[in-house]
Amino acid sequence: MFQIKISLFAQTKALENKIDMFHDKIIDVAMTFKKAIAVFLREQRSLEYKKLCKQIKNIEHDADNLRRDIENQLYSQNLIPDLRADVLELVENLDSIINRFDEVAYKFYIERPEFPEEYHSRMKELCEQVSDCAENMAIASRAFFRDFSTVRDYSQKVYFIESESDLTSGKMKEAIFDSEMPLANKLQLSGIISEVADIADIAEDCVDELLIFTVKRDI
Amino acid sequence: MDLSYFIFLSSGLFLGWSLGANDAANVFGTAVGTKMLRFKTAATIASICIILGAVFGGSGTSRTLVELGSVNELAGAFMVALSAALAVYWMVNNGTPVSTTQAIVGSIVGWNFYSNHHTDTTILAKIVSTWIICPVLSGIIAICIYLIIKQYIKHSQMHIIHQDLYTRLGLIAACAFGAYALGANNIANVMGVFVDAAPFHEVTIGYMKLSGTQILFFIGGLAISSGVFTYSQKIIKTIGNDVMSMSPIIAWIVVVAQSLVLFLFASESIKNFLEGYNIPSLPLVPVSSSQAVIGAVIGIGIAKGGRGIRWSLLSKVSLGWITTPIVSALICFIFLFVLENVFNLIVYH
Repeated sequence: MFQIKISLFAQTKALENKIDMFHDKIIDVAMTFKKAIAVFLREQRSLEYKKLCKQIKNIEHDADNLRRDIENQLYSQNLIPDLRADVLELVENLDSIINRFDEVAYKFYIERPEFPEEYHSRMKELCEQVSDCAENMAIASRAFFRDFSTVRDYSQKVYFIESESDLTSGKMKEAIFDSEMPLANKLQLSGIISEVADIADIAEDCVDELLIFTVKRDI
Repeated sequence: MDLSYFIFLSSGLFLGWSLGANDAANVFGTAVGTKMLRFKTAATIASICIILGAVFGGSGTSRTLVELGSVNELAGAFMVALSAALAVYWMVNNGTPVSTTQAIVGSIVGWNFYSNHHTDTTILAKIVSTWIICPVLSGIIAICIYLIIKQYIKHSQMHIIHQDLYTRLGLIAACAFGAYALGANNIANVMGVFVDAAPFHEVTIGYMKLSGTQILFFIGGLAISSGVFTYSQKIIKTIGNDVMSMSPIIAWIVVVAQSLVLFLFASESIKNFLEGYNIPSLPLVPVSSSQAVIGAVIGIGIAKGGRGIRWSLLSKVSLGWITTPIVSALICFIFLFVLENVFNLIVYH
C-alpha cells in the first residue's frame, strides 16, 4: 500500500514537472524569437540567425514531445476527469503559439524580407510585444494549474499587450504603404508583420478560453 | 434451525438488496459519476465496509426501530420488510429518490395500526424529526467543509494534478467511511424487525465473538452488498448531477457530509461520550442517506450563492419523502390482511 502511494505521488510529480517544463518552453521560444529577429534585422540570414532558428525548431520539437506525454498520461491514468478536456485544449492552444513562433522565424529565413533601417526599432518593438504576450499567456496558464486566482491578472496583461501590438503593427503597415518602396516589397513586409502580430492574437484567443476554464476550475 | 425463518427473512434480504442498489449509490455514486473511481473499486470497498458497519455498529439504531413497533411474529416481520421493499421498488421505478428508512418506518406504523399496537408517538416524533434534522445537519456540515476547502485550495497553491490525487484518495477514504456509516445506520431498516426472532447463536472466531444479532446483520450486510454489485450502477448514473452538477471535490464534500451525519446518528460511543459531558446528543435512529446527500448538495448550492440548484427537482424529491411512508404503511396494512385471511398466517400476537 505504502509503495503504491509512493508510486502514485512520483507519477503525479513527474507529470507536474512535464507541465511546468512545457510552460518553460513557451517562455524559451518567445525569448529566442525576439533575439533571432533582432539578429535577422542586423545580419539578415547569417549563421547566427540559422543557429537561433535551429534552436527555435528544437524547442518546438521538445514542446511537441512534452505535449504528447502530458496528453497520454492524462488519458492513460484517467487524471482530472472533470477538467481533462479543458487542460488538453489549453495545452494544444499553447502548442499552437510555439508552432507559430517557429513558422514565423522560418518564414524570415525563407523569404528574407528586407526591412529598411527606419523600421527596425518598430519591428523590434513588435517582436518584444508578441513575446511579452506569449510569456504572460504562459504565466497565466501556469497559474491556472497552481494558483488560479491570479489567472485574471496575467490575462489582463495579455489583453493590454495584444492591443499595443495591434497599434504597432498598424502603424508599421501604414508607414510601409506610405513609403516609396516597390509594391511587391510592401506586400511582403505587410504579410510578415501580420504573421508576427498574429502570435499575439493567438495568445489572446488562448486567454479567452483560459478564463472560461478558470471559472470551471473553481469548486 | 427453522427453515421457515429463512423464507420469512427473504423479504428483509430483498429490502437489503434494494437498499444496496439505492442507498449505496448515495455513498459512492458521486465518486463514480465524476469518473474519479472505477465502479468495481468503489463497489468492493463499499461492500466490505457496509458489512463491517452492519456487524460492528448496527445495534443502536435497531433498538429505536424495535421501540417504535416490536413486530412479534415472523410472518408480520416478513410483511413489514416486504412492504417497505415494494414501496422502495415502486418509487424507484417512478424515478423518485426514495428513503428506505421512511419506507420501513411507514411499514412498522402500518403493522402497529393493523395489530392494534400502540405507536409510541414520542419515538415516532423522534424519528420523523430526524427526517428534517438529517438533511439540515448534512447541509450545514457540507457548507462548513466547502468553505474550508475553498479557502485551502485558494491559499495552498496546490498543483491541479496533485489536487486530483488527493481528491481521489479522499474519495476512497470517504467512500469507505460512508459505507461503514451506512451499514451501521441502515442495517436496522433491513434486519431490525427480524432481531427478536433470530435463531442464531453466538459464534467465536479467533478472538472475535459474534452475537446472534451480529450474524443476522452480517447476512443483511451481504444482501446490501449484492444490491451494490448488481443494480447500483444504474442508479449512480442519475445520482449527483440530477440536482446540481458536481466537481470531484464537491462529490467528496457531499460524501463526507453524508457519512458524518449517518455516523452521528448511528454511533453509540459518540452518544455516550456527549451524554457523559451533559451535551445534547443525537438520537440513534436510522436516517436516510438520500436525504443526507440532498441536504449536502443543497448546502453547497447555497454556499455558492444558490446558483445551479434545480429547485423543481427538489420539490419532486420532497414529495417522495411524504409519500414513501404513507405508501409503505398502506401496502403493509393491506398485505397483512391478505397474509392473515388468505394464507392463515399469524402476523401478530
